[in-house]
Amino acid sequence: MPNKFHNLLSVSIWMALPLCLNPIAAQAESRGYVIGWLATASYYTGDVKMGCPDGRNGGVVEMHARELEAIGFGKKEAVELQRKQRDTDAIVPEYRDKVYNRARINGKEGSVFTYPDFTSDPNVELYSGKYAYGFDLTGTAGPSKFEDPETHARVDNQLWRALGCINQYRTFPPQKPMLEDTSWDVFVDNAPAWTVQINGDDLSKDGKVTVTIGRATQHLLRDATSSTLRDATYIVDPASKTRNVLEGEIKDGVLTIKPAHIYLEGELPFYMDIELDNGHMRVNRQPDGKLIAYMGGFTDWKRYAYMSTARPFQDAAAIEGYHALKKVADSDPDPVTGQNRKISATFRWEAVPAYLADSKGNILASPDDLVQPQKVANNAAQ
Amino acid sequence: MTIFEKVEIDKTMNGIRHFSVRHAKSLSVGACLLVIAASFGARAAETNVSADKPTSMRISSSQYRRTIADIFGSSIVITARFEAETRENGLLAIGALNNSVSEDGFERYYEIAKDVAAQVTDKRHRAVLIPCKPKSATAGDEVCARKFLATTGRLLFRRPLKNDEIQALVAVSKDTANKKKDFYAGISTSLIDLLISPDFLFRYRNIEPDPARPGHFRLDSYSKAAILSSFLWNSNPDDLLLKAAENGSLQTDKGLAMQVDRMISSPEIESGVRAFFSDMLGLDQFDVLSKDAKFFPRFTPDAKRDAPEQTLRTIVDHVVDRQGDYRDLFTTRHTFMTRALAALYGVPLVETTDNARPMRWLAYTYPEGDPRAGILSQASFVALYSGAGRTSPTIRGKNFRLNILCQVVPPPPPNVDFSLIQDITNPKFKTVRDRLTAHRSNPTCAGCHRLMDPVGLAFENFDSSGGFRTTENGVPIDTSGEWNGVKFSGPVELTKALHDDPAVTACVARKVFAFASGAMPSGNSAQWKEIQTKFADSHFNFLQLMRAIAVSDLLYSVPETRVSLLEHK
Repeated sequence: MPNKFHNLLSVSIWMALPLCLNPIAAQAESRGYVIGWLATASYYTGDVKMGCPDGRNGGVVEMHARELEAIGFGKKEAVELQRKQRDTDAIVPEYRDKVYNRARINGKEGSVFTYPDFTSDPNVELYSGKYAYGFDLTGTAGPSKFEDPETHARVDNQLWRALGCINQYRTFPPQKPMLEDTSWDVFVDNAPAWTVQINGDDLSKDGKVTVTIGRATQHLLRDATSSTLRDATYIVDPASKTRNVLEGEIKDGVLTIKPAHIYLEGELPFYMDIELDNGHMRVNRQPDGKLIAYMGGFTDWKRYAYMSTARPFQDAAAIEGYHALKKVADSDPDPVTGQNRKISATFRWEAVPAYLADSKGNILASPDDLVQPQKVANNAAQ
Repeated sequence: MTIFEKVEIDKTMNGIRHFSVRHAKSLSVGACLLVIAASFGARAAETNVSADKPTSMRISSSQYRRTIADIFGSSIVITARFEAETRENGLLAIGALNNSVSEDGFERYYEIAKDVAAQVTDKRHRAVLIPCKPKSATAGDEVCARKFLATTGRLLFRRPLKNDEIQALVAVSKDTANKKKDFYAGISTSLIDLLISPDFLFRYRNIEPDPARPGHFRLDSYSKAAILSSFLWNSNPDDLLLKAAENGSLQTDKGLAMQVDRMISSPEIESGVRAFFSDMLGLDQFDVLSKDAKFFPRFTPDAKRDAPEQTLRTIVDHVVDRQGDYRDLFTTRHTFMTRALAALYGVPLVETTDNARPMRWLAYTYPEGDPRAGILSQASFVALYSGAGRTSPTIRGKNFRLNILCQVVPPPPPNVDFSLIQDITNPKFKTVRDRLTAHRSNPTCAGCHRLMDPVGLAFENFDSSGGFRTTENGVPIDTSGEWNGVKFSGPVELTKALHDDPAVTACVARKVFAFASGAMPSGNSAQWKEIQTKFADSHFNFLQLMRAIAVSDLLYSVPETRVSLLEHK
């Protein structure tokens, strides 16, 4: 599976664009997309030991049992609590009370989700593999750098170092890490879609482009396979805080951007928003017109962790992740405590071709997977 | 005693047909349904005195729904499925002549009737739908029950109820109300009896001596009213139409014309137009249409739901709102879209409401030069008449001829070898045109395929789901052909070539007549010529065609075979 994925990436070609263009290439092109898949960029080959030689983390059951032991539970009692919860779909109150309230504030029980700093560090194994997706955010060499499996550049991705040995993150597309997968399913039907518009003189060739990431007034539409519907029309929300106009370039068929601040406002349980300082992006167009992109930069690790800790019952490894992120955060030190507030991170997204229009009905961008994409909305006057 | 004898006895006892059903309820469930189903069959056989001109038609599921909505309001919800309808000679309306009610079908009618009656008499609706308050809510009230049942029964049976019919219904209502100590339970029971009666589920053509032509027969007024309302409104007669039947004015040319004009100028005419075209184009078949989602992911459940509706909206807009030339239906660039359909067709549709929920219908005009125009380029045709995974120019061509030109293509002979056509991986024949050309080398197949394939191939730019394409297996698709000596390339040019073909307008006239009467017009009578002339003189205005047929004596003629049989009896 990973090999297949990598092969797919290696053959992803902007060079295929001429095949899909009209015979007469336009002087300026504008292509539209909606993001139909987004998740933390995981790197996992299916080898359970990959990057985690100790293999000591185990699953959530084992991690929680260890944490209960750390606050005084007997091993048998800790395991029994886990078993009771594992054997039912309902919330077992006893489990909820003990496991969720394993924070200790001046000796008193407290919710780990409200007081994550009042739990001891579970000290999960950190990812020590060679590869991770990402970008060189600092321009300096260092032991914490990974190698990007696509570009083979030395890259920063401490987010993956923190989470890469936690089972639920060890996935490969199309599967997302568990919480993100669940959250995305909700997002598709209920939250506004993120739009991507690429403008350039001739997108079939290398050259300068502008990438605009915005937000639609409409949610994503699903197709008959429950994936994102292609070629639907979305209105770009003129009032959205998500409006990133990014300078970019296509070189050797790969689109990259000039580093910039990137902000995506979400309405979904997991991704309330994504904010990246020193944001980088690398986009590959697939032969079927879909885009696959990696987007990285420094992000607030607490806001990232909150996306897990805000979902108590699906706690999974929220506290384990919290402490790991805190430990390996690598940017923006707090002037008082010295604790880094941001962490290098990379996300992966996929986008399908779409029509993008403004709220007055003008077509801003057309899909590039159609035989005859139209430039004008003929219901605009209605 | 046979089942039929049992039914006849029941009829004698109570004076109306539906009580055979109610009495049967006391039997075991299986026997009950058998008796009931047999009673429907017996009734159908009883009225169909001539094999070639039967005189009862089972109302369609859409007529049932429409009638219930017209009488009780649209808040009465029917969620069940009805017994399948039979398509004959290209129309369900013709098949309706021979439809009976099976045991399973009756069970469905009975369940639907119970559900409708429960809603009509529930606390939400009773104050509005039952025109009186009982003296006591816990006992029968003959006066109030009579008022509701006589009024409602007249609208459901398309005629006033006879005294003994009303008396029987009131008695049942009172009996049930007293037993259950609930007036509305009694009303509900009698309403169920009305709704499962053959007098509601079937439209009958009853004849009477024609006073203007001694020795001849004519349809009675109520039969004429039922034909008119079914044809023009896809529903039962309203109060005004029944009054015209009651006072005899419907038997005069002037009175008939007055009612027809009133009905055509009513917004309800849209229902009749929709029902006709839905039948003509076979849109009911969308219920069982499926596409391979792997190959056609844009053929979503929403797109499937919206495809037939798009065509009906296009038609209503063109023939009712714009009063356009019928022939332009096949070339019009005006249509309607939802976002799901727009994605299927690959066109932009700007929906500015918040989150676009629910999907709205928006008017849409294809730009000049677009390969799509007219209703035959819509998914309701190109997707409906395709396989789940690939197109079929043969099926498209066959249904084009049947639906649009009234030309019947014989079924394929037995033991035909389809392997060549179905082998889409054959490197020698990359396009379906190649495969069909090879298939036509078999002289047994060639005759019919020459009729079907050239027309069907014109639509090959539309894939099995209705999406647009220009290549098949990497080879450019050739959509050229010839129609009546005119060369065309693609469906837009085909439909332009088709525009002045008299077969197009002659066919729709025949189909409309058959939709109204249950049978294709026979011969070439002066009355039929007059209908066609009126249609042509109106610049092929579809509503004028409906009017010409609705006021023509031809629609209400009584077959001589039936008259002679009646006289013989």
